[in-house]
Amino acid sequence: MIASRLRTILGAVAAVIALVLLGQYLIGKLAKPERIDIQVIIKSTDKNIEFWQVMKDGIEVATNEFGPSVEVTGSRSDADIDGQIALVEQAIEKKPDAIILAANDINRLVPAVEEGAKRGIRFFIVDSGINSDIAESVIATDNIKAGQAAGMEMLRHLDGPGKIAIINYVQTAASLIDRERGVRLMLEGRKDIELMDTFNAAGSETNAYQMAKQVLEDNPDVRGIIGLNEPTTVGAARAIKEMGRQGQVKLIGFDSSVNEIKLLEEEAMQATVIQKPFQMGYLSIKTAVEAFQDKKVPKVIDTGSLVITKQNMYDEENQKLLFPFYDK
Amino acid sequence: MRLLFRIRSFQTHIALAFVAVILLTILIMGVTSYYLSRESVQSNAQSYTAEIVKQVNKNINSYVNGMTYMSDLVANNRTVVEYLSSSSFSSLAEEKKQKETITDFLESMLVSRTDIASVNIIGNGDKLLTGRQDLDWNPYVDLRAMKWYTDAIAAHGENVISSSHVQPIFKDRYPWVVSLSRELIGRDGQSLGVFLVDLNFSVMNDILKDIKLGHRGYVFIVDQNGRLVYHPQQQLIYSNLKSEMIGKVLEAKNGTFTSNEGGDSRMYTVQDSDFGWKIVGVSYVNELAQNQENLKLGFLALALMCIVLAAMIAIYLTQRVSRPIRQLERHMKEVERGNFDIHVQVPRTIEIGRLARAFNLMVGKIKELMNQIILDQEQKRQSEINALQAQINPHFLYNTLDSIVWMAESNKNREVIAMTSALAKLFRASISKGEELVPVKNEIEHITNYLRIQQMRYSDKLDYSIDIGDSAQHFYTIKVILQPIVENAIYHGIKKKKGMGFITITSEETENDLMLVVEDNGIGMDEETVRTLLLPTAIRKEGRGVGVRNVHERLQLYFGLQYGLSYSSRPGAGTKVTITLPKTSNPLEQGE
Repeated sequence: MIASRLRTILGAVAAVIALVLLGQYLIGKLAKPERIDIQVIIKSTDKNIEFWQVMKDGIEVATNEFGPSVEVTGSRSDADIDGQIALVEQAIEKKPDAIILAANDINRLVPAVEEGAKRGIRFFIVDSGINSDIAESVIATDNIKAGQAAGMEMLRHLDGPGKIAIINYVQTAASLIDRERGVRLMLEGRKDIELMDTFNAAGSETNAYQMAKQVLEDNPDVRGIIGLNEPTTVGAARAIKEMGRQGQVKLIGFDSSVNEIKLLEEEAMQATVIQKPFQMGYLSIKTAVEAFQDKKVPKVIDTGSLVITKQNMYDEENQKLLFPFYDK
Repeated sequence: MRLLFRIRSFQTHIALAFVAVILLTILIMGVTSYYLSRESVQSNAQSYTAEIVKQVNKNINSYVNGMTYMSDLVANNRTVVEYLSSSSFSSLAEEKKQKETITDFLESMLVSRTDIASVNIIGNGDKLLTGRQDLDWNPYVDLRAMKWYTDAIAAHGENVISSSHVQPIFKDRYPWVVSLSRELIGRDGQSLGVFLVDLNFSVMNDILKDIKLGHRGYVFIVDQNGRLVYHPQQQLIYSNLKSEMIGKVLEAKNGTFTSNEGGDSRMYTVQDSDFGWKIVGVSYVNELAQNQENLKLGFLALALMCIVLAAMIAIYLTQRVSRPIRQLERHMKEVERGNFDIHVQVPRTIEIGRLARAFNLMVGKIKELMNQIILDQEQKRQSEINALQAQINPHFLYNTLDSIVWMAESNKNREVIAMTSALAKLFRASISKGEELVPVKNEIEHITNYLRIQQMRYSDKLDYSIDIGDSAQHFYTIKVILQPIVENAIYHGIKKKKGMGFITITSEETENDLMLVVEDNGIGMDEETVRTLLLPTAIRKEGRGVGVRNVHERLQLYFGLQYGLSYSSRPGAGTKVTITLPKTSNPLEQGE
């Protein structure tokens, strides 16, 4: 009798506990819908490279706004292709819903990405892509347009005929390839413009400096240099300044840095074409989340580029692009 | 069908009532507390936002007040005004000395003020002074073309607070600052230059960036011209990915308004600062609604849990209540089937306990009565056998036949015929188709024939008279009740008496009862004999009057204890026997 009563009480208590747990689980489940798990792999997590830090800010803002679970990783530098392949493989092992990738190499990352896609992971590309159609959306600067803008700016500053040199950084990066194509689209075929073959700095600012110096020495008639990214531009500027030819040789660059700001102030550089990494980061997350909400996402999203000159560099809306951080 | 039965069962009714009451209670309490908490969540969110915006305003004001204080110090400093006013100095050393004094003064303002980026005076000509001795002026920047400078000149000695901006006045330095600039005016009202103090914007950024209103809400600041001083999503707004209702914010005084953007509606809480900025807290309306949704879900889940719990308790309790009832019901079924040998365990519940006890009593009573009936039946059967035995008393038959033989030998043919015919009639009357109940008429015929035989046998000793009223004739009686009494009267009363014996049989009637009275003038009996005459056999001394007692018992068995025989007798004065019967006119109404 007592034993059976005890059993009844124990049973009742167990039932109540089970019920409470179930209730809590249900409340938790209902209150917090499943979050989308996104792995973002960028080219570099180096704190000194503003571009990627700003992109991370954009990612963070979008994460807060759209509510996915996001982890950002990156290789040591944008030349570390093997490291990035390993990162992609590690990310796949974590079985995320989506991977957002800024590829260090247009070809070599393809197998890893295809492997991930085979396992049902959805891919999005930010900044620079790969030779594959797997990505649902590419969120990047339209670098052909950016190249055309740089070419246009060169024409504006030359204001006449001239010989122009282009210095590239690495020949396998999709973004740089597109920029060169854009520049050439704008400048080629003009009778008063002579476009030289593109010089390859092979991933070094010093190389760019030496090449620019060589070009200017060998070709005194060169009136314009276009650096396809920040190191090539800064290297070329060093050469121009050293030879005391600032102002005479027009320099159009890409991206922004304190060095480039100074070059603009000194008028050693006439213009730089900047990208909008914050927008890239923000839009990549937003697009991925929307894709998971079964919304139709555009195959390509151009985050835009902007020509910065000495005249507009302190404009209200440009300051934040050129000087993204308040505490530096 | 079984389900229907279950639904209509007692237990289900109680359980349903129980659950219904709890459901109602939970519903009322749930809805009430939901609305109450929704109200409080909403007003909490609003006052929380307002409080945060107020705090931000206070903090920012304190920074700006600090800068204003500096500008007042500098603007009213005699050395500064003198130095800036004089166009020529007595010596280069004198100029240098004054400049150093002012520079030291500016530098002292910066001591232990990490929030201030720089304090500077931009005088006319090359009179540039700064508290930051460690920095060089940026040669590529035209100080007098900068906005803070032109604005200060335009404001004529008023403090001008800039929006947040990059300050490039020092070489290799591009800090974000908020500038306070003020035109310095000489004693004659001439312009002496501009005082500039820069506040590190990062101190404001540190205050603002971590403020979250809900998940997505934020705080932003706009200056009087609509320029964003601070906005966490500044870049998105400049590239038109987002819009902010700056126009409406500028119009709004302190207070709250809500934008109408459907699902993404935002609630703006605006607070004016003392110097023209507006601090704005933005929270998403649907987030408040989300909280409400969560609240609703929480309450719903809680209510559901309570109901399930209540149902479980209800089922358990009602089972406890209805178990004894169902047990009782089972036992009743058993009784229905004819098993009376059961005893219900009495439960502790008072009402059900009483019911069970009453049930037990009832079953016991029924069992007792049934046993009684069986006993009665057996007794009746026994009495009938006895009566039958009395009818065919072998001695009587033997004696009668002996008398007939004797009369035949004496050639008394008439008497032989009379006696034999009487004997035959006697037997016919007593057989009476085997029925127990017979009309009084039959009984009288029977006794008449009996007396006739006896009179012939004891012609000199016995006479009789029978006087039964006509109305009494067709009531019914059990048969053979008079013969044992008359037989008793003859053998024990008259035979032992000297002289003529006389027996009268009469009838009397009351409203319900019929009395047959047999009287003799025999020797009578003493009181003791009368008293013991009708007692059960075991108590009596000898076998006398077996037949009489049998009559008495049969009458009582048939008609009840108030009926039967009563004797009154005195020794030497005869005996009177009264047979009391109910007036029974239809034999089917009585007996078996």
